Amino acid sequence: MLEQIKDWIERLRAGSTGGPDREHLPTPKTAGDQRLSDCRLIVLDLETTGLNASKDEVIAIGAVAINNNAIAMDDQFDLILRRPELDISETVLIHGIGPEALTRGHETEDALLHLLEWMNGDPILAYHSVFDQKFLEKALRQTLGYTQPHTWIDVAEMLPAFFPDAKTGGRGLDNWADFFGLEVSARHHAAADAMATAELTLAVINKARKNDVTTLKDLNGKLKYYRQLKNMHRHG
Amino acid sequence: MTAAPQDSERPQNTRAIMTFLREHSPFSNMDDAHLAHFAEHASLRFYGDGDVVLSPEDGPVKRFYIVKQGRIRGERARDKDGETETTFEISQGECFPLAALIGERPTRTLHRASGDTFCLSIEHDTFVMLFSQSDPFRDFCLRGVSSLLDQVNQRIQTSAMASIGSSNSLDTPLERYAIRNPIVCSPDLPVRKAVARMHENNVGSIVITDDERRPTGIFTLRDLRTMVAEEKGPLDTPIGQVMTKEPCCLTAQADAFEAAMLMAEHHFAHICVVDDENHLIGMVSERDLFSLQRVDLVNLARTIGTASHLRTLVSLRTDVSRLVDAMLAHGADSGQVVKIITTLNDVTVRRVLELNIKKNDPGIPFTWLTFGSEGRQEQTLLTDQDNGILFQTPDGMTEDQVREKLLPFAETVNNELAECGFTLCKGNIMASNPKLCLSGREWDDWFIRFIDASTPQNLVYSSIFLDMRAVFGPTEPLDALLDKVLTRIRKNDLFQKMLAGNAITRKPPLTMFRNFRYVQEGKKKKLDLKRQGLAPFVEAVRVFALANGVGEANTLERMNRLAEKGIFDPKDANAWQEAYSLIQAIRMRAHQEMLEREEPLSNYIDPDDLNPLDRRILRESFRQAQRLQQKLEVTYQL
Repeated sequence: MLEQIKDWIERLRAGSTGGPDREHLPTPKTAGDQRLSDCRLIVLDLETTGLNASKDEVIAIGAVAINNNAIAMDDQFDLILRRPELDISETVLIHGIGPEALTRGHETEDALLHLLEWMNGDPILAYHSVFDQKFLEKALRQTLGYTQPHTWIDVAEMLPAFFPDAKTGGRGLDNWADFFGLEVSARHHAAADAMATAELTLAVINKARKNDVTTLKDLNGKLKYYRQLKNMHRHG
Repeated sequence: MTAAPQDSERPQNTRAIMTFLREHSPFSNMDDAHLAHFAEHASLRFYGDGDVVLSPEDGPVKRFYIVKQGRIRGERARDKDGETETTFEISQGECFPLAALIGERPTRTLHRASGDTFCLSIEHDTFVMLFSQSDPFRDFCLRGVSSLLDQVNQRIQTSAMASIGSSNSLDTPLERYAIRNPIVCSPDLPVRKAVARMHENNVGSIVITDDERRPTGIFTLRDLRTMVAEEKGPLDTPIGQVMTKEPCCLTAQADAFEAAMLMAEHHFAHICVVDDENHLIGMVSERDLFSLQRVDLVNLARTIGTASHLRTLVSLRTDVSRLVDAMLAHGADSGQVVKIITTLNDVTVRRVLELNIKKNDPGIPFTWLTFGSEGRQEQTLLTDQDNGILFQTPDGMTEDQVREKLLPFAETVNNELAECGFTLCKGNIMASNPKLCLSGREWDDWFIRFIDASTPQNLVYSSIFLDMRAVFGPTEPLDALLDKVLTRIRKNDLFQKMLAGNAITRKPPLTMFRNFRYVQEGKKKKLDLKRQGLAPFVEAVRVFALANGVGEANTLERMNRLAEKGIFDPKDANAWQEAYSLIQAIRMRAHQEMLEREEPLSNYIDPDDLNPLDRRILRESFRQAQRLQQKLEVTYQL
């Protein structure tokens, strides 16, 4: 993976073609009749310098892909961005990325270009996706001027929609991971969190198939219905 | 390609999978590079409670799985009521399905998730790569397949059987053959009436029984022919006087192979099948056993055993080869076939000796000894002579005087055997060699010198002289000699250690990378199945056998005895026997193919000519040889 990215960056610097063309970056796909069981889904998690999307920055990107109902380890994204100028003293205690690791990271521009190409416009899933969506869209816009909207799906919303009776004791990633007995290898590491999120997504897709939810469109419909139901409860 | 990335450079999720793998066998013993290869090529799947993970309907298994979390349950339908029963449970860190994956076949068991389950899996080509490169991984997979080699054997037999269109194999118990209700009579019935009864029933034999239906004799059309031709008596003679007494009997549980060997040895065409109390329950004939195979083993043995001219014996050798061909095609295992060849060779040797005694009796009581592969009863079609004479010195004669009489006789026998296809021994290990035509006392001295002066040359000879057997003449003198020799070796640790050291000099042809090590000969890659493949087994097993007072010379039997005595772990002994037999089977098949192409026989094969399964099996068999040699190294601290 790393070798692959290094190679690609080398090629890009040498000015050869083959790298993502900034003019022809992949176009995001909309949620249509793609079957959940065989389409490719990106499951992503970002580590940031803080919680405020207007002033904080992305420092690490971890993502895995679900393809044909499986997470293939040769199709993943795990990068720490090069942002030495950032003050990360506040959050370093949470995600453990210190200044040294950041300087060894990759040029943000290169990394985001590669991420876009790797994602290939596929729908992006994340846990509390609103947070990741804000940070990623901001980074893409500011660094690359890329403004096309990806299809985002919130795993935190999918889980209770398909497992309404689950006694998780909370709505966090940790609660659901515990509920399914998952072992998260390194909590608050972008890639590890993405992996845990993807594992939960596999469980959701499995359950969805049994509920006759087979396409992305079905899934969106189901989530919409779930939201309405929740609102009804809230207001009723 | 750049150097393998350090652990810290690997993606977090790859590292996490490696950490998980390291907690479980066989991954805990695997190199990091192999673990990383596994992790980088793995994919993770989820199965809800009750989901089917693998099914017999899925076709040949393509993936290797390990349970990351949860549990997998094996389900098989019971024959009786069609209900399913759980045959096994696979939990976290355990791998499946091994036998089906290695056998490249569908699984026989439905694999179902029990509770929410995550499995990591790798594709077939990643599996093959790890299987071929990682020793701990391969060991684990093969150990998991308890009787992989068994299955291969069965597959060879099944395909051979399919082409012949018979479901009977030589392992089939006699009770499964259509045992005919035999025609019986009492001993006082006149021959004329007995023959009339045979005629009425259209059979070739009649069994004579006592009042409790115990067989006392048998009378066949051949006996009738002899009786008439040699005018042994009138047709109203009571049959009890002309029958063959004490007919060969086997119980219904004995297998066809036993029956065939008994028939070949005694030249009988019929065997009575009896119950535990020796009551006659049926009859099998040579034709029943071999009707489908057209393998005329018994008749061939009989023809050899009664041949009246050397010429006939020589011409019969092609029949032996044809017979071996048929037996291999019929799926007889290599152990059975080498025994058949040895039996037929023994019959030939005996007949050559008998014919020569008839012509020119040296008048000295002697035992004809065979050494080496013939001594071990492990002969194939490619065989040379290794023989000697153990004689008893008649009163009033010196040993040299006896030799004067025996040596010319032995020389004629050696030459005639050569004409029958037993190549003259290049090392002159033959009865016509004055050094190998000895009295019991001389042989004993010979062995004392042999054991005490363990010269390198002696050690080379150990593979010949320490595997001996009597083929002709009284066996007691040899038994007495063997007794003394074994006792002496058991007491001589130094000799044992030297034998052991010699036994491990010939390494099985595996390089550290588990590919074959070839003998270079021209362009073709050559593998010597006898010297590189079988010899490591034969030699290591011999050391253990001699050191532990096992008198048998046959390698498979030696292993049985060593397992009985607790020297070998029964599972190890079994694995080694299988491995040895498979190499032998591949060697014999190669011989038959050479005969077909009218090429001279050799023990060399090009592994590229083998199918992938045979190649893998051969490699695994060689690895077993390596394990056996390692046991020797440990035992003798070499």
